[in-house]
Amino acid sequence: MRKTLRPVPARRTRWLVAILVTVAALASACGGGSSANGSDSSGSGPVHIKVWAWYPEFKGVVDAFNASHKDVQVDWTNVGTGPDQYAKLKTAFKAGSGAPDVAMVEFQEVPSFIILNQLVDMGKYGANDDKAMYADWAWKQATDGNKVYAIPVDGGPMALMYRKDLFDKYKIPVPTTWAEYAADAEKIKAADPNAYIASFGKDGGWINGLMWQAGCRPYGYSQAKAKDQVTVKLTDPACEKVMDFYGDLVNRGLMAKDPFFTADATAALDKGKYWTWAAAGWTPGYLAGSLKQTAGKWAVAPMPQWTAGEDAQGDWGGSTFVVTTQSKHPKEATIVARELFGGSKAAWDIGLNKAFLYPLVKNVAADPAFTEKSYPFFNGQKVNEIFVPVSNSLGEFQYTPFQDYVFTTLNDLSAEALAGKRPWNTVLEETQKKVVAYAEQQGFKVQQ
Amino acid sequence: MSATTSAGVKPRTRLAHAIMGLGMLYFAVPLVWIVIAATKSQPDLLSTPALWFGHGFDLVANLKQLFREDDGVYGRWLVNTAVYSGLSALGATTLCALAGYGLARFTFPGKRLLESALLGMIMVPGTALVLPTYLLLSHIHLVNTMWAVILPSLLSPFCTYLVRVYIAESVPVELLEAARMDRAGELRIFLQVVLPMIKPVIVTVFLFTLVATWNNYFLPLVMLSESKLYPLTVGLTTWFNTAQQEAGTRVLFNLITTGSLVAIVPLIIAFLMLQRFWRSGLSSGSLK
Amino acid sequence: MSVNVLPDRHAASAAAPRTEPRRSRRGSSFQKRQSFAGALFVLPFLVIVILFLALPLGYALWLSLHSESLAFGTRFTGFDQYVHVFKDPEFRDGLWRVIRFGIVQIPIMLGLALVAALALDAINSRVARLFRLIAFMPYAVPVVIGALMWGFLYSRTFGPFAGVGQLFGGGSVNFFGGHLLLVALGNVVTWAWTGYNMIVLYSALQGLPREMYEAAVVDGASPIQIAWHVKVPAIRQAISLAAIFTVIGTMQFFNEPAILARFAPDIDAGYTPNLYAYSQAFRFGAFNYSAATSFALGLTVFVLSYAYVFLTRRRAARP
Repeated sequence: MRKTLRPVPARRTRWLVAILVTVAALASACGGGSSANGSDSSGSGPVHIKVWAWYPEFKGVVDAFNASHKDVQVDWTNVGTGPDQYAKLKTAFKAGSGAPDVAMVEFQEVPSFIILNQLVDMGKYGANDDKAMYADWAWKQATDGNKVYAIPVDGGPMALMYRKDLFDKYKIPVPTTWAEYAADAEKIKAADPNAYIASFGKDGGWINGLMWQAGCRPYGYSQAKAKDQVTVKLTDPACEKVMDFYGDLVNRGLMAKDPFFTADATAALDKGKYWTWAAAGWTPGYLAGSLKQTAGKWAVAPMPQWTAGEDAQGDWGGSTFVVTTQSKHPKEATIVARELFGGSKAAWDIGLNKAFLYPLVKNVAADPAFTEKSYPFFNGQKVNEIFVPVSNSLGEFQYTPFQDYVFTTLNDLSAEALAGKRPWNTVLEETQKKVVAYAEQQGFKVQQ
Repeated sequence: MSATTSAGVKPRTRLAHAIMGLGMLYFAVPLVWIVIAATKSQPDLLSTPALWFGHGFDLVANLKQLFREDDGVYGRWLVNTAVYSGLSALGATTLCALAGYGLARFTFPGKRLLESALLGMIMVPGTALVLPTYLLLSHIHLVNTMWAVILPSLLSPFCTYLVRVYIAESVPVELLEAARMDRAGELRIFLQVVLPMIKPVIVTVFLFTLVATWNNYFLPLVMLSESKLYPLTVGLTTWFNTAQQEAGTRVLFNLITTGSLVAIVPLIIAFLMLQRFWRSGLSSGSLK
Repeated sequence: MSVNVLPDRHAASAAAPRTEPRRSRRGSSFQKRQSFAGALFVLPFLVIVILFLALPLGYALWLSLHSESLAFGTRFTGFDQYVHVFKDPEFRDGLWRVIRFGIVQIPIMLGLALVAALALDAINSRVARLFRLIAFMPYAVPVVIGALMWGFLYSRTFGPFAGVGQLFGGGSVNFFGGHLLLVALGNVVTWAWTGYNMIVLYSALQGLPREMYEAAVVDGASPIQIAWHVKVPAIRQAISLAAIFTVIGTMQFFNEPAILARFAPDIDAGYTPNLYAYSQAFRFGAFNYSAATSFALGLTVFVLSYAYVFLTRRRAARP
């Protein structure tokens, strides 16, 4: 047998191996092994409820809950924002295990989860008692008949953010109707050829809020009433007029085509590229930290109306807590869903002042501490005086059980229109066609 | 091996050098950028020119914040990545080495089938396997554990292929037969005769699987739902999404740049240290 | 001279030397033991192949033969899903996009890698060795992080390049829009993989026996002529192999678009076929359709690769 001298690098490799094996052993010992999904109950200790959420500053809220509840403790993980978390939820549902007890789900996604039959009806555990606590429109979106599938947390009543300093400087009137808005768009272009009144960001929730304000009610679904019937009416004139209006502004070069929520978009807002943004109640918080150069120059005005003198409003986004059927402790999970925010003063302290959520709890929203809050970002304006009435006036608005597909299709077709490859007045028509085809393929009967 | 031809080559060499210089610039720019970016604070990142330093030198501050953020989860991600990659690479290399040897120097029923299937296996898109693997693993409650990431990563048909061809080229059959005549057991032959001879390809295969697992994003993304278990790829992307979503409330971009730098350093060091091995390993007869 | 171990379909094995051990004179029990030992060596690998390749693949196939419907659950539909996939305009657009991408990017990248490898083979200075190292470094960077870095570099907020457009009097360049987006993606891929391919080809070149072109040198051929007429044909198979793996990788394009989608909303759910399969499963919960899409993609890749190998072997076999 040939004797081989062991050269130095091999020794180094063995050393490396030894270290890795030790680390691996330690890692396994310290809980790198099988972790329990869902809650854990040893007869005597508190019940642990697993929560998935991506609220900013949420740790403080969780700590506050855990401090005030002895029998129930919350274990929180951020498994991703929005679509990333929903992906994990859907995979866990398909696999039959791995879902948390409580999950944060935005309003437009709630029907999608209801139809998967993976949500617990919290009404069985007393959640109906909370009905009066929450804004009506939110409660309607969170429930299906008598079944309470979600507990509202925050919302996004819409209003118009605008650069007060620039509007004042160029003597541009704050628009009260959309016609005035279009006129302002031209004035802004004249004042600064490199600026736009706003950008048309390809965002399903945003355009949905605007359509909501225009009186468009394109979707209808109630599993309790008819589990295989869905309404899709995107070509309704109330919806078309919104698309036509914005498409026209884009075509005339008065609106930019940049997407929202990228670092570039935020920088553009800060550099005066857009002078307005039809945004929501959570926007002040979102922007306050990042728009350093234009802080104090913005103001909020009520959304322009389609008909002068009206008071139509819309909502962009908002979220709830749901309890999944994989939870082994639905009663405690319901408590968590209802009380993590609910009426907790400690939680809303954080929610309002650190996370800048817009509360859907009626008395929190009505509290002077909230309505009288002045925002330095808006030059001391008490912006909630505008947002609160918006939320109070919102009516019912339903979503489909495949809203992600609808918004994605709408966004893709809007992208084609933005690129000039499709006339704006065919966007909704084509979306309608595709969504109906999809719905029928999924076994639904579609009312148009 | 250098082709030192006549002196007439010199001006061409200078031209070649100039082009190589440009090439180096191209490959180095993002790396230079990340080093510079890691020294900037968040406001500086957004306001100072990208390829030169900012107003201060905040690398240490960034590093401190990096390891403190979210209860020190970054350090956990770093350890996770090292453990997942290390164990996967070790396991995969062992399996490949054994299988490559078996295929190269033995006959057994089904061997031809396996060999022809080998190249086919390499063509299967990994992303197609992740979802069914997730569903299968969840039945045995292994998801959201480190094994959900490590076990699937043990599969590396490409490495088996490399080892097989290297052994076929470099380990003479006569040597093995001589060892067998000495009445040595097969495993002993493998460990004491074959392994020392194929060190370059073993190190190459180890590095290859190490890099593949270190880089893996999709598999851990699907398998893991607990921040404490994430590797660096998933963790940093999560921070990035949060940074975009919550621009106002979380100061994170500087952590992403610094975190990315720290994530790259170990692999680069590993490559530098083990240079002579992977260079000769890749030149195995498979590519002639 | 060689006994082909692998069936003729595999170009790479054309020059593989004999690998069968000589029949021993000791008889069948020895062979049986040998057989058994061989099987044992391969067994652990085989187990993993079955558990993590064959089984998931089988399950995915089973999934793809069913259709889900939100209203009524899942039912068996045979090959309906596949028909649906191949008719799906988003799938076809994605496929066409990847093909277009490959036609441009792959020759550029492999061409650069080849030229660099040839240069490195001819020149052995310190500069060359440094170049070799730096060109390979991107391979050590996780794709995800590399994509993040390029995302920052391309961004108008963080990066140096967008401002270049202003130097030429235009607006700032938007690397994330329209046609430029594919170019931007191509750049990221080229940056990440040229070095790796360069090393692969360089290693092949290093393995060439010197005698092969010493004659040409004596005849007074220039280095470029030597490179083109002697070296390149000699490493034809390495180039072929690199090309095949690159094509397979490109058809399965996923990582860079998935990460850069955060920067570039123009990267929609079906930008590449692999991204489409992912979106179907993880955004729309359409697991069955996703499995069918993956298989359809895999099938397409398989067919194209084997066609390519078949064609090149035919050309090689011709005298």
